[in-house]
Amino acid sequence: MHIPDGFLDGRTMGALWGVSGATTAYALYRVRETLDDAKKVPLIGVTAAFVFAAQMLNFPVAGGVSGHFVGALLACVLLGPWEGFLVMEVVLLVQCLLFSDGGLAALGANIFNMAILSGLLSYYLFALAKSLIARRGGEKAAILTSAGLFAWFSVVIASVACSFELAISGTLPLSTGLPTMVGVHSLIGIGEAFITVAVLAVVLQARPDLVSAYKSPGLSAGLPAGEVA
Amino acid sequence: MKHDFIDRYSRLQSPVHDLDPRAKTLALFALIIACVLTPPGSWYSFCIYAGVVLIIAVASNVPMSYLLTRMLVVLPFVLAVAIFVPFMHPGGPTVDLGPVSVSREGLLVLWGVTIKALISVSCLILLSSTTHFNDLMHGLERMRVPRFFTVVSAFMYRYLFIIVDEAERMKRARDSRNFQGRWIWQAKVIGHMVASLFLRSQERAERVYQAMTARGFDGHFPRTVELRMRAADYFFMAVVIAIAAGGRVVAIWA
Repeated sequence: MHIPDGFLDGRTMGALWGVSGATTAYALYRVRETLDDAKKVPLIGVTAAFVFAAQMLNFPVAGGVSGHFVGALLACVLLGPWEGFLVMEVVLLVQCLLFSDGGLAALGANIFNMAILSGLLSYYLFALAKSLIARRGGEKAAILTSAGLFAWFSVVIASVACSFELAISGTLPLSTGLPTMVGVHSLIGIGEAFITVAVLAVVLQARPDLVSAYKSPGLSAGLPAGEVA
Repeated sequence: MKHDFIDRYSRLQSPVHDLDPRAKTLALFALIIACVLTPPGSWYSFCIYAGVVLIIAVASNVPMSYLLTRMLVVLPFVLAVAIFVPFMHPGGPTVDLGPVSVSREGLLVLWGVTIKALISVSCLILLSSTTHFNDLMHGLERMRVPRFFTVVSAFMYRYLFIIVDEAERMKRARDSRNFQGRWIWQAKVIGHMVASLFLRSQERAERVYQAMTARGFDGHFPRTVELRMRAADYFFMAVVIAIAAGGRVVAIWA
């Protein structure tokens, strides 16, 4: 889903650079004090490295097509939406510069698909679903259920956006591009949901203090930051 | 353990490796922008861009076989477009290709995305194969890229090796217990492995970070050699940007 350079026209790339740039500026404003938090820095670094490494592993989907983990929702649930968004941007930037996975001119579009839609949008829908489910059951179960659901959604919505961008640019017609992309990615989304839930389930059990979307009473109250480990 | 899968060949010696990372980043970025904004029918322009990339590639001493292999990364997208070419622009002028006839417009789109993707991707491969990761990030920092990006990238780069090491250890342990194949009923084991990989890396990374702060790390990565733009760097940047702009201008007439 990392769109290479040359597949989008100037108009589409410019517009998406604008949206992504404005979102980035706001996100940087929101996280201006995060890097001073001694407990968050290693977690941000590891999450970025983990998402980066996981994106390099391809798993097979039906018919010889392979997909890979995106990890945007996982990053947002672990770190908080704005930190997660920026971590996805770092991952996309480094993948583009170092692995030439996704183009440099198309980076704005890739950020829009995989950091704004898969990250921010999916996270806020996840948070909404979580609070609805949490009224009826435990919070951990609510996190896992809605994370699984919206991890799948995050992959599919990015593929929908991707096929619209390719269609607007005149590269791939919507009538053929959209069903193919969405079909393949609703299968990839199952893998995404599986990995997201698997990681969150273990982290919630072993180190619930690392999950920013989980606020357990009594956990964050007593311990000073940085001495939990 | 030595991992060089990221910026392989970045420690070679060549005139391109000696250039300032800022000069390389800006020049190649200009080339990519010019290339993606060129209409697909402008053959001369693409010859110009490809020529510049080829000269840089030869001067960089990076093996051509390596460059060509890495270029395959754009293949899935090119193939996706290629499959749908016959269905594009029905009713327009067609070209006969053996048994099938496809639309001229569709072929032009396919040619355009392929040549643009190949030229742009070789620019990025050349940048990462001739610049060490730390220098690249330091160059971006000096170009006023926000600190969050450069600091997180620097941590990501360091922790990536931790994760790869931990993954290899876990894989060795798993394989020595006779685990084989990739089947759907093994998904649970793989899920647990991915999750504990995350936790193990996190806990090692916390210790690494504590060790860094104990040794005086204050959020800045100190450097022994500062980057400096020399005359050669300005010259390289000016020439490449001028050629990129020239190539784009040629496309207006030709």
